[in-house]
Amino acid sequence: MTSSVPMPAASASASVAAPSPGERLDPGAGPEAVIRAVDLAKTFRLGFWRKHVEAVRGMTFEVRRGEVFGFLGPNGAGKTTTLKMLMGLIFPTRGRAEVLGEPVPSARARRRLGYLPETPYFYEYLTPGEFLDFAGTLCDVPARTRKRRASELIARVGLAHAVGRPLRKFSKGMLQRIGIAQALMGDPELVVLDEPMTGLDPIGRKEIRDLILELRAQGKTVLFSTHILPDVEMTCDRVAIAVSGRLRSVGPLGALLSARLLATEVVLRAGVDGRLPAIPDGSRRLPAAGEGDLAVELPAGVDVDEFLRTALGLGARVVTVAPRRESLEDLFLREASQPEPASTTPRPGAGPGQDDRVEALREPRSAP
Amino acid sequence: MLGRVGAVARNTFREAVRNKVLYSLLVFAAAIIVSALALGQLSVHEDRRMIRDVGLFGVDVFGVLIAIFIGVNLLYKELALKTVYTILPKPIARWEFILGKWAGVMATLAVEVGVMGGVLAATLMVEGGREALDLALPKALWLLFMNVTIMTSVAVWFSSFSSPFLSGLFSLGIFVVGRSVPDLRQLAGRLGGPVGRILELCAAFLPNLQLFYPSGTSVDGRAVSVHASFVAGPYLASATAYALGYSALVLGLAMLIFQRRDFV
Repeated sequence: MTSSVPMPAASASASVAAPSPGERLDPGAGPEAVIRAVDLAKTFRLGFWRKHVEAVRGMTFEVRRGEVFGFLGPNGAGKTTTLKMLMGLIFPTRGRAEVLGEPVPSARARRRLGYLPETPYFYEYLTPGEFLDFAGTLCDVPARTRKRRASELIARVGLAHAVGRPLRKFSKGMLQRIGIAQALMGDPELVVLDEPMTGLDPIGRKEIRDLILELRAQGKTVLFSTHILPDVEMTCDRVAIAVSGRLRSVGPLGALLSARLLATEVVLRAGVDGRLPAIPDGSRRLPAAGEGDLAVELPAGVDVDEFLRTALGLGARVVTVAPRRESLEDLFLREASQPEPASTTPRPGAGPGQDDRVEALREPRSAP
Repeated sequence: MLGRVGAVARNTFREAVRNKVLYSLLVFAAAIIVSALALGQLSVHEDRRMIRDVGLFGVDVFGVLIAIFIGVNLLYKELALKTVYTILPKPIARWEFILGKWAGVMATLAVEVGVMGGVLAATLMVEGGREALDLALPKALWLLFMNVTIMTSVAVWFSSFSSPFLSGLFSLGIFVVGRSVPDLRQLAGRLGGPVGRILELCAAFLPNLQLFYPSGTSVDGRAVSVHASFVAGPYLASATAYALGYSALVLGLAMLIFQRRDFV
């Protein structure tokens, strides 16, 4: 995966109408929004009795030009339904969406975007070259460019060894790679990837992460949904967390995560006389790596300096002291486990760290 | 627009060409046409007539079966295999997608009817040399191709809102009743009353497929037979216009339904 992904011929600026008061969820987002969803909702009517199932219950967010935006949420959060509404595959029952300045669905906007569906299925009788040529033709890419771009992308996603093989003989990971290649065939300004890391091994995941960062370096905007949190931490400028069809948090990752100390992990090794300090109240003993070691998690309220002084006084050695702040996983689990708010918009003070979070969203964002 | 429709049509054609089920249907149809040679031997001085009748019957029935088979699966497969999720977010309109799929099937069926017609012509030549061939044969084959054009469009329309099994069943029903539309009109006239009016309404909406199998009927007061005096150019032109017009109407309905669908 060495060659670079082709650049767009020209990057058109999105003309986005100013939102009406109260519509904007994410105050950090500026006028350069390439995706704008306002109160987007979808209710399906399923089964014989046409039972109403609310998959998405009013999502409002924006994705800015040139950023990598992570759309997180547990299964059933409404991520795929939202992306399908943005792609014009599903019609919303309420709200509206604009992609690249065009109201959805718009063929003009689709000409400037690439999309990878969740668990993609392709025409299994085609070879990668045939499939990419087909995808390129649908994107109105001229024949000569199609051939060159298809070869570049096949090499870029690491499928050069399988170029003559029909897609039916591809593994899940290989299908995911060719799916990403087809999304890039039209040299899009905006790339929307639904669970792009699914089915990939750690090497494949790293390659896709690198590809996403490379696309951002080229000035493209990437929106991807996932529940693989380390990938988000390593690639995303901003994230949105959806739970049960509603957005819980939107903003830069650093602003969403609480800066306050949650706990301190300390590992001590006993001295020659084997003495170790008592574990303070409220602390938690952790499994220790070495025999005679004590690993302990001290909550934020405990005086760590005092604990370490006591340990040193008893002849113990300090192996590690690691302060632990909120991780994306903590935030994700917290948001997923919180009861549903009455409003669709995160409220200041609605939960731990919420004040900080909303305040941080108002800070100007640096260029990617 | 043409490029995108053409790409979908080429892809649909390629899919059909790489589908082994169609080859088996085609071989079976060819076997039936060739078997007419043996049936011809059993008849008394009617070998050529027998080969033509059995051959054209084979082209007709297998053409329609293949048209229904491909037509009802056309959109269903795209939805069931979720391939449509990759295609429709590209700058292709939904109606262009349907048109492309339909054009691809029509190209496939043109080849199928052509191959079956070729086998029939070869069988006739084996029996009676070059003299056994005349203009009636290509005319009859053209009409049968127009017949499958309508049937494909009907099958695509059904498949835009129904399962392949039901779509196949409905399409087959339309084919059977469509061949009897003139009889249906006659019956409606004879019965009169509300039942007659319902039958008349059915006859008005159903495709008149007898137009495409005119041998043995009377056109403009003249008996028509594929063995003797067959239909002339103006008849072919009007039947073609009818088939294309009806197909356009039915495909338009399919496009409307497809346009409003959620791809969940």
